[in-house]
Amino acid sequence: MKALVAACALAGVLCAQQFKINLDHLEAKASSKVDLALASNWLQFGGTFLDPKDPDEAKAKKIISGLEGLYIKHFEFKTEGQYTQADVEQIRNQLKPPEWSRMVGIKSAEDRENLEVWVRSKDNKASGVAIIATDPRSLTVVNLVGNVDLESLAALGGHSGIPKMKKK
Amino acid sequence: MDWLEQELKQALARKEPAPDFDSRLRRRLVRTLPRWFAAAAAVIVIAGGGAIYRHHQGEQAKEQIMLAMRLTGSKLNQVQAHVQSIGERQ
Repeated sequence: MKALVAACALAGVLCAQQFKINLDHLEAKASSKVDLALASNWLQFGGTFLDPKDPDEAKAKKIISGLEGLYIKHFEFKTEGQYTQADVEQIRNQLKPPEWSRMVGIKSAEDRENLEVWVRSKDNKASGVAIIATDPRSLTVVNLVGNVDLESLAALGGHSGIPKMKKK
Repeated sequence: MDWLEQELKQALARKEPAPDFDSRLRRRLVRTLPRWFAAAAAVIVIAGGGAIYRHHQGEQAKEQIMLAMRLTGSKLNQVQAHVQSIGERQ
């Protein structure tokens, strides 16, 4: 019975997630990692515990109301060269047209960082977002499934204890 | 006094309980009380434990959501900052 429940849960995760994030081999090398696979029911359940009086939590509640899933793998490394371009490429290769289109691609020589935002469209409607962010010592891959309010999400990045990036 | 009155008087007359009535009653109480008491306690513990577990899970889900929002938000915020600085340079 437990195996059946686990299989169903795994199937649910794979169905909701829009591309595979095969980066498990980096776990041993990372000094810190975040691995989140939040399915729709978990998001909605957690949403009931968000305080609408708290500005950040109220924004988060609004954002997750349109989401069907949220999947993140984030690795930080103590030294450079712990992940390869092939690791990034195997994710990028899954984001193909006509479903996926790259909305933003930033390559900063100064910070040696790459930032990519991909949008998935279905029937002329955005149904998901992928974010790939790399710098020599960190790698982040995000898949937001569903109706995503990017502006509200970016605004949250400037709160919650994380300083908003200043214009250079 | 007719026969009915006589019958009633006899029926309602004060009767002393049997000498072992008290001990028998106590024994029965001891036998029956712990059963329903244990069942009630179990129900309370299960219901309370379930509520605590559910609350703990909800807090865990909330923390995960907020962590996800912060991480994603910070990356999008970086994108915005880069786009703005490029726009300003042009």
